[in-house]
Amino acid sequence: MTTTFSPNALCFGEEFPASGAPCLVHIEGDGLTITHEPTVSISPSERVLFTELAVSVGGLDHDQLVLKWGEGAQARTLYLKHSDLIRAFREAAPEHLNQPFEQAAERVRQMRHRHRVMWASVGGAILAVVLGLWFGADLLIELAVSRIPVEWEQKLGEAAYRDFLSHQEVMKEGPAVKAVEEMTQRLAEQIPNNPYTFQVTVVKSDVVNAFALPGGYVVVFTGLMKKADSGEEVAGVLGHELNHVLQRHGLERIVKNLGVMAAVSILVGDQQGLVGLMRQVGVELLTLTFDRAQETEADLTGLQLVYRAKIDPHGMITFFQKLSEKDEGRMEWLSTHPMSSARADRLKAELAALPKRSSEPFTFEWKTVQEALGVQPVAVP
Amino acid sequence: MKSEVLYPGAFPMVRVELVSGEHIKAESGAMVGSSPTVDVESKMEGGFLGALSRKLLTGEKFFFQTLRASRGPGEVLLAPTVPGEIVILELDGVNEYMVQKDGFLAGADTVNIESKMQSLSRGLLGGEGFFILKIGGKGTLVLNSFGAIHKIELKPDQEYIVDNSHLVAWSATTSYNIEKAASGWVASFTSGEGLVCRFRGPGIVYIQSRNPGSFGAWIRQFIPVSE
Repeated sequence: MTTTFSPNALCFGEEFPASGAPCLVHIEGDGLTITHEPTVSISPSERVLFTELAVSVGGLDHDQLVLKWGEGAQARTLYLKHSDLIRAFREAAPEHLNQPFEQAAERVRQMRHRHRVMWASVGGAILAVVLGLWFGADLLIELAVSRIPVEWEQKLGEAAYRDFLSHQEVMKEGPAVKAVEEMTQRLAEQIPNNPYTFQVTVVKSDVVNAFALPGGYVVVFTGLMKKADSGEEVAGVLGHELNHVLQRHGLERIVKNLGVMAAVSILVGDQQGLVGLMRQVGVELLTLTFDRAQETEADLTGLQLVYRAKIDPHGMITFFQKLSEKDEGRMEWLSTHPMSSARADRLKAELAALPKRSSEPFTFEWKTVQEALGVQPVAVP
Repeated sequence: MKSEVLYPGAFPMVRVELVSGEHIKAESGAMVGSSPTVDVESKMEGGFLGALSRKLLTGEKFFFQTLRASRGPGEVLLAPTVPGEIVILELDGVNEYMVQKDGFLAGADTVNIESKMQSLSRGLLGGEGFFILKIGGKGTLVLNSFGAIHKIELKPDQEYIVDNSHLVAWSATTSYNIEKAASGWVASFTSGEGLVCRFRGPGIVYIQSRNPGSFGAWIRQFIPVSE
């Protein structure tokens, strides 16, 4: 043979291998001619009339045309796969042979349609779950955070706290520390069922900032105290920070950073493995920023706390306003607490809704505190 | 490409002889050794998107490696990751095989490989995942299995039942349905078989004598749990 043998179908039968013998099928006139590979020991070519054939559809995806003829040891099965060949067969074959093919094709079409519908619904379900996680993530995180015991939170916060303080100059005593302790005590008294023991430390630094770590560890910088014109203003900031702790905002951020998977594993009870993971993230606690919703929540609950503690809440508002004005100096609180006049306005509105109440002054003189911090009394002209 | 299986049994290796300029594709990481005339290239079969879809969908490695005897004839030694037999098939250009994703070890360059999505029920229950490889074309194809490879030859309309996840490869002329192993659901699962695949001929089904999933579950009990 000079031409290369390029088979286009598979022939099955007693004398052929189980994988089928490749053969060449030609459709001509009233039947087909099947040419076998020259190596096969049977007659190299045979002719089958359309009238002898039984037609069906087979193969893994029901996309092959199956032709059967003969009986017993002579039974043959032919699998046609090439679409050109199948088309040629359908054009040449008499009507009644195409009927089972049409039915089979219809079945395949229906099946494919079913598959499409099924895949679409599976895809839809997955999408729904993803969307649910996306929008339900906050809820999930809240649920997860509520499962974390306070002792853990304290351990986590304490580690970061000690780490931070080791690099800072801590103010151990003096009017400023006393003042902050008094504020904290007055605020903490107003928190029902408080699981936290607040530990507030004054750190000598000109940074105008204060922050809270999970577990009740609060740091106030002397820069913030120098900037404040009254104890009430500092108390307002403290009220805000204590509420970050009470609302467990830090934990929420950590769990959010760890991802939804972490939330799920907390919920299903695998809490132990998470401690290590959280320790790692604990290092990042200091760089943690809260999101807008958390800030707003801490603002409002902070205001309510200050109000309950009978501390003049206007201090909080004036201080926020002061911070929102573009001012010289290092206003770190601004970078972690993006200030806007809208925030102060919201507090004003909130305060207006609360019934008027007389406030009790602190036992310390703010002037003395500030002088102890080294603020020169401003001469009134 | 001339190939032979060395050390048949649990830890076999394939030696492939390449004539000058000839190249084969192999599962990435499969090469054990080669003549200095053979260059290793990584190639994304089916283009970037094809490779990406294969990686994401079948879990098959992103790159196949291409081993090319670019500086004269040479030989390459290839071995799979898991212990198990290797089988060499000669594709005739008409027969096509469906291969579960870990089954492909190497193939001549004339062999075509594409990812194919299975139907939902086959994907979920068949034990091979949703995506399998469809391998056609003409030339040598090297498959590997976990455990020994057993070949089942099916005559037209002959049926055979295989436990899911024991499948390695099957010809495209066969078809299969997923069924319960026993007549009832409870009996199906308490018998330890769960679901099985009912194959219908004609064609060939290659199965592996060990189930990777069950082996994994078995070995897991010996792995110490870390803190």
